[in-house]
Amino acid sequence: MQAVVVDHINKCYADKVAALRDVSFTVNQGEIFGLVGPDGAGKTSLFNIMTTLLFADTGTVTLLDNDVENDYKKVRSIIGYLPGVFSLYPDLTVEENLRFFATMYKSSLKDNMPIIRPIWGQLSPFKTRKAGKLSGGMKQKLALCCALIHKPEILFLDEPTTGVDPVSRKEFWDILKSIQKQNITVVVSTPYMDEATRCDRIALIQNGEIIKIDPPVKIVKEFNGTLYSIRVKQIFETLDVMERCPIDSNFYPYGEYVHVVFYDKDTTTIKERFAAFLNENGVEYTDMEEIAPSIEDCFIELMERRDGVQY
Amino acid sequence: MRVILMLIKKEFLQVFRNPLLMSILIVAPLVQFLLFPFTADYEIKHINIAFIDHDRSSTSQDIIKKFLGSPYFITHGILPSNDHAQALMLRDEIDFTLEFPVDFEKDLVNQQKTEIAITANAINSVKAGIGTAYVQNVIAEYMNELMAVSKPDQGSQAQILATNVYWFNEQMNYKNLIVPGILVILVTLIGAYVTALNIVREKELGTIEQINVTPIKRWQFIVGKMIPFWILGMAEFIIGLILMKLVFGITVQGSIVLLLGITAIYLLAMLGLGFFISSVSENQLQAMFIVFFLFIVFVLLSGLFTPTEGMPDWAIKLNYLNPLSFYMDVIKIIVLKGGVLQDVKIQIIALSCMAVIIDTAAILSYQENSK
Repeated sequence: MQAVVVDHINKCYADKVAALRDVSFTVNQGEIFGLVGPDGAGKTSLFNIMTTLLFADTGTVTLLDNDVENDYKKVRSIIGYLPGVFSLYPDLTVEENLRFFATMYKSSLKDNMPIIRPIWGQLSPFKTRKAGKLSGGMKQKLALCCALIHKPEILFLDEPTTGVDPVSRKEFWDILKSIQKQNITVVVSTPYMDEATRCDRIALIQNGEIIKIDPPVKIVKEFNGTLYSIRVKQIFETLDVMERCPIDSNFYPYGEYVHVVFYDKDTTTIKERFAAFLNENGVEYTDMEEIAPSIEDCFIELMERRDGVQY
Repeated sequence: MRVILMLIKKEFLQVFRNPLLMSILIVAPLVQFLLFPFTADYEIKHINIAFIDHDRSSTSQDIIKKFLGSPYFITHGILPSNDHAQALMLRDEIDFTLEFPVDFEKDLVNQQKTEIAITANAINSVKAGIGTAYVQNVIAEYMNELMAVSKPDQGSQAQILATNVYWFNEQMNYKNLIVPGILVILVTLIGAYVTALNIVREKELGTIEQINVTPIKRWQFIVGKMIPFWILGMAEFIIGLILMKLVFGITVQGSIVLLLGITAIYLLAMLGLGFFISSVSENQLQAMFIVFFLFIVFVLLSGLFTPTEGMPDWAIKLNYLNPLSFYMDVIKIIVLKGGVLQDVKIQIIALSCMAVIIDTAAILSYQENSK
């Protein structure tokens, strides 16, 4: 049985902008499934539909064979949801929030302590503190505890690490891995490409459409082209010059580097040809080398191929 | 059951931790009871009056002396001219002038028609109206005395004297009306206002979504919201009754149990209204505007500040939709008149129907998920 089956979901808001277009995917039980895409891609709409908060225009979502529209009562008891913005009671303490949500799920703190123990260990020193007075990372851990308190079978996390510092982000992902070990299916969205590699499979979503679903390793492996990284002094001038490059390629700034993807089949001579082009146009560069693509390179390349927009 | 108890417990925890809400709940009734009845007083005292005497006769002097002796008037002496009087009135130093014409006494003695001009500052029309009546009273009193002295032979003729007895409010004490009215306002505000703001706040915080993804049922959520605010409303009402007794000595003439029972029904309607407003509002600001608007309409129509009998026909009909008006009737009937169940039957039926309709609308308007 699949944990999540999303089947041809369409959603249009009042302003007639299609938020989701024919979205379909499945998530296996016990998997960490990532929805990766830029802001406004439709991730939160999709989450709201999967968590029974919003109805889709057409299409169905079933969670462990329960339809999210018709069996929403049942669905609500088997899912945990961590929304993108902190939404616990700021004027209740950590412990009161936790007890409150445990009771809402007709569960109790004692029964499900084993599930939340790894997180609770870090939270318990603050248990009498008001939730609104916690630090960002702690708030997120409390919210995760509240979403897990009834031992859900599927956990939905909408951008749990947005605005969280790198150390807490890493910790958070370690926690997700430990949750996975308790046979809880995790569906998580993130705008951070580096986090995508920690998922078992990812779906790349853009403008309400899924453009690729695969394990991150496979997506990287299927990268179509030869990727070079060059370090230049003037990035924007260099980009202007490269518009005129005769070799079939794509390029984009990447930190203090420029990444260039060559689609030219003749990969052996490509470095020399490109170096010659740069020299002719007087571009000063250092460190030109072929590199293995990251998931971000793959995403940019996939989006590019999709609608030909410069990224 | 455990779920509902938890919802109620959570609500009380939040109320008691919210210093602003707590102070509103405690300070509002105190301020309203201790301040409002003294400011909203229809009785006019300290009327500033001055005189313009073109006659300078003993009769005009006698009339002026009558005013000097009255507790309602502060006399500002005899002014030399009309211009002078106008200037004083412009500066708000006097409210009334009384002008005696030339030959006032002579005309009076010769049984000729004569006139005294009363000029009133009518910026405050209530004060001008009531003050004019007082002035006329004083003059009429003097004229009666004059008649008795000048024509003692006619003293035996039959006279009709109307005497008034004011029932249910013997001293015509304005506070007896305004204080129960404040009780009504208090209950209405707690019911509609606090409930609406509370639920909209949950929307703003996003906690309502977090609750909506839990398997709790819609009725559980609504009952869990209504019970705490219903208890708060009843508590405020009882505090109000105690203050009414302690500060103003107004005791409930009728059955307190009946009064509490009807208040309970009325609160249910107001809680539903608050709930409904919160469903259609996106944020606390919107909710506040809607409550404020409805509240003003309800209060003005209710007959708290102005008698409903003077309203146009359509306004009287509109009042059949005004729960506050029915509740106001109940308070007047039970608190002041000592009415029994039979006397408030119609109001009970009306309020019950409203409670059912408003609460149904509130429940239906509350969406757990959206299209």
